[in-house]
Amino acid sequence: MHKLLIGLMLSTGLFSMQSAAFDFGKALEDAAKQKIEEVKNGGESKNESTTPEADALKSTTPQASSTEQAPAAPEAKAFNWKNPSKQEEIALGREITGSLLGAAPLVKDEALQRYVNKVGRIVANQSERADLPWKFGVIESADLNAFAAPGGYVLITKGLYLQLSNEAQLAGVLGHEIAHIVQKHQLKVLQKQQLVNIGAGLITDKFGKNNQIAQKAIGSGAEISARSLDKSAEYEADRMGMILAARAGYDAYGLAEVLQTIGQTNKSDNSVALLFKTHPHPDERLTRLGDSAGSQLDKLKAGKTLENRFYKLAP
Amino acid sequence: MKKIVNLCLLTSMFLPVFVLAGEPGTALKADTLRAEPFADAKSVGSLTKNDAVDIVNKKGAWLQVKSKKSTGWVRLLSVKRGGATQSNQVGGLASVASGRAGTGKVVSTTGIRGLNAEELKAAQFNESEMKKLESYELSSSEGKKFASSGGLSTASIAYLKGAQ
Ligand SMILES: [Zn+2]
Repeated sequence: MHKLLIGLMLSTGLFSMQSAAFDFGKALEDAAKQKIEEVKNGGESKNESTTPEADALKSTTPQASSTEQAPAAPEAKAFNWKNPSKQEEIALGREITGSLLGAAPLVKDEALQRYVNKVGRIVANQSERADLPWKFGVIESADLNAFAAPGGYVLITKGLYLQLSNEAQLAGVLGHEIAHIVQKHQLKVLQKQQLVNIGAGLITDKFGKNNQIAQKAIGSGAEISARSLDKSAEYEADRMGMILAARAGYDAYGLAEVLQTIGQTNKSDNSVALLFKTHPHPDERLTRLGDSAGSQLDKLKAGKTLENRFYKLAP
Repeated sequence: MKKIVNLCLLTSMFLPVFVLAGEPGTALKADTLRAEPFADAKSVGSLTKNDAVDIVNKKGAWLQVKSKKSTGWVRLLSVKRGGATQSNQVGGLASVASGRAGTGKVVSTTGIRGLNAEELKAAQFNESEMKKLESYELSSSEGKKFASSGGLSTASIAYLKGAQ
C-alpha cells in the first residue's frame, strides 16, 4: 500500500549502483549521465563507484548543512536538496504523481474522487502537516496498492478500493500514506540519493543547480513508486496511519482489517506483485502493529466505521 | 489465476460489525483467550503461534475465535484471517469448496497485468489528469464539515512507539 515507495536505503544504494537492475541509484545515475551529456555536450564518463566525496556526504548530518556543499548557487533558484522548502517538496511530489497518473489515470467518477478527498482530508487534519495541500485520488488499476509522494499526494488503486468495505478502512489505508508524507520517508531517500550523486560528481554543478533539471534528475518519476522504503518506515507508517484514523474518530482497526484481507491474496497474484515487492508481508505488518499496540489501545473509545456512508464503486 | 477474497462485503454493508461467521484464521502470536472482549476479562485459554482458529465474531478491537481447545476473545491484531500457509492457491480454493463461498467473493484476475517497474519507468507526466486531481483538493474546514456530518469526533491519541 503503499505508498510511494522509493528507493533503497542509502547504504544499499551506495554500494549497489552498478549491480541491481532496479536500483534507484542506477536510474538516477542514468538520468544524470544523460543530462550531463546534453548539458556539456561531451560524454564525460565518471566513475560511479563510491568516491571520497560520497563518503563525506554520507556521514554528513542534516544539521551540518551549510559548509561543504559547494554548489550552493547564489544566483539560482536551485532545487535545495539539503533542505527543500515546502514548495519544492510539493513540486517534486507533483512531478512524481503526474507520471504515475500517466501510467494509471484517475477513475472517471467524480463523486468517488470527491469522497476520497473528504476522508483523506479528515485524516490528514490529524497530522502534524495539516497545512499541506492534500490531494487524494483513485486510479485505474486492478492492483492492490496505494502511493504517496512528497507534498501531500496520495493515490489508491481501484483494485484496493474495491476490497474496502467501510470508511474506517479507507481512512486507515490513507493514514498509512499520509504518514509516509508527514515523515518525509520518500523525500529523505531522494535527498540522500541526490546529495550522494552531487557529491560523487554524477550531477554537475550546472545540473544540480537548475530546478527544472533537478526534477528530471529523479528520472521517470513514477518509477519511484516501484521502489521500497526500508521496513522500519513501513511499520512506522502503519503505526501512525492507524492512530491518525483513530484520532479522526474512526475505528482504529480499519488498516488492520485491510491488511488481513490483503494477506489472503495469493503471493503470486499479479495484483499484489508490486505491493509485496515494496512492503513487508501483511502478516508481518499485522504482527508488528500488534506488538507495538500491546495493551495501549485497550481503553480507546470505539470509533466509527461508517459503512453506510462508504462510497460504493462498481467493479 | 483466481484470488479468493473472503470479505463479507454484502454482509458488512448492513451490519454495524464485521461479522466473520466461521471464517478460518491463524494466530500470529501467542496470546490469551478471554471470556469477554476486555483485557481484564477472565482468561479461558490461550493460543500459540500458528494455531488454526475459526473467527466467529468481532467486537471493536477483539475477535471471538474458536480453537481446538477453547472459545474466547483475543485481540484483533493477534490473529490473521486465512490459513497458515499462503504458498499456493489450495487454501483459498478449499475455503470456497467448503461452502464459504456464499459469504466470500471470488475475483478473477486472469489476464490482468499489474503495475510494474517497467511500466512506471515508461510513464509520461499527464498534465490533464494532474489538473483533475488538483481540482478535487479540499480545504481543512471542508474536511471538518464532512467529519461532523458523519458524527466523527476527534480524540487525542498518542502515536505508538515501535516494537523492538
Ligand atoms: Zn508504505
